[in-house]
Amino acid sequence: MKKINFKILLITLSFLLIVPQLFSQEIPERPTPPRLVNDFTGVLSREQANQLEKKLVQFNNQTSNQITVVLVNSLNGIALSDFAYTIGEKWKVGQKEFDNGIVILVKPKIGREKGQAFIATGYGLEGAIPDGTTKLIVENEMIPYFKNGDYYGGINRAISVIIPLAAGEFSSDEYAKTTTQGSPIGRIVPFLVLIIIFVLMRGSRARSHSVGAGIPFWTALLLGSMMGGSSHGSWNNFSSGSGGFGGFGGGSFGGGGAGGSW
Amino acid sequence: MKKKWITIGVIVLAVVLIYGSFKGSYNTMVTYDENVGEKWSQVENVYQRRADLIPNLVNTVKGYAEHEKQTLTDVIEARAKATSVNITPGNLNAASMQQFQQAQAGLQSALSKLMVVVERYPDLKANQNFLELQAQLEGTENRIAVERKKFNEATKTYNVYIKKFPKNIYANMFGFESKPYFEAVKGAEIVPTVEF
Repeated sequence: MKKINFKILLITLSFLLIVPQLFSQEIPERPTPPRLVNDFTGVLSREQANQLEKKLVQFNNQTSNQITVVLVNSLNGIALSDFAYTIGEKWKVGQKEFDNGIVILVKPKIGREKGQAFIATGYGLEGAIPDGTTKLIVENEMIPYFKNGDYYGGINRAISVIIPLAAGEFSSDEYAKTTTQGSPIGRIVPFLVLIIIFVLMRGSRARSHSVGAGIPFWTALLLGSMMGGSSHGSWNNFSSGSGGFGGFGGGSFGGGGAGGSW
Repeated sequence: MKKKWITIGVIVLAVVLIYGSFKGSYNTMVTYDENVGEKWSQVENVYQRRADLIPNLVNTVKGYAEHEKQTLTDVIEARAKATSVNITPGNLNAASMQQFQQAQAGLQSALSKLMVVVERYPDLKANQNFLELQAQLEGTENRIAVERKKFNEATKTYNVYIKKFPKNIYANMFGFESKPYFEAVKGAEIVPTVEF
């Protein structure tokens, strides 16, 4: 009895030891210096990549949500969802306290091999962007562009939808309505929400009647950048204005998200 | 006289060293044990998440595929069986683990059978609600795989720690037992074929 258990244990252990190594060999290494847009295929022009990078770095600095875009030529035989999730875990996308990372993985269509795309959400964003929504984003925003070979267009569209969702500016239900109806009313909803937020913010400012109602936010950011030190890479470059990406946090992923192929 | 003091010194030193070794090992075991428990509750969460999706899924399918009563009943029964098996981190052992895995594997196979059957109903497959449920179900299966892996890793850390000398002796003394792993159930990964 004892002998058999030991054998099973040994097999399981060796399996567990081998599997992560296999994975880490075929998944790209965390980029140094850290970058949010990682194109290993060359389908994006330098300008396009910079444009996306700028957008994502700005979003990272404002909200600490980290969205990384990864383009690869091959999944090396790993399942699409596994690949995206492992990048998230290995690179530690998102902040440690919030697990607010997103991985957008794109494998362009090469020859007859079909193209695949996946959006993986960190634990902290599973609520704001449920799997159904990531599925809609892949199918409705990305794939139509990808089919025409416009990778920048598709990724840019997806990011434009994900950013307000992750920031909580409008809900996934509202997004679902805009895509299924495609009516002008649906498209107005985000603007309406923004206007309401704006009005509410003004209201609360008037009530606080202090001289610099807008200051605390900036003070907080500055304080954050001073106290955070190296552990909060994302804040580091804020004061320098346009600054680059400070580095990935310590975010964790639990397998959330969805993908599609074309 | 001098010899006596040396002996006392050696004894005191030994006691201090042994105490330190005991304390360090014991506390680490507790930490690892807690970690396994925490990972286990995550595992149960994601399985619960799958179970929670099923009533909605069954209702959606029912509207389109009335002829699949048997398949749907199987799913509901398997779900009831799966949700009835709960393990607290305290009674996590090989036997309870096997029971848990078996119940979940039953649900898994009933579900994949259902997903094959629905291929016959194009209207259902075009239903927005169904598509979303399908995406959620896929996401939940991914989560289950991830949390199982994380649980196995935590268990490995714990098991390896308590089995090494001399910690195996302390573990025995304090009653820390090795914990079971998740293993792939035979046949669970095979999608059942359905005759049309």
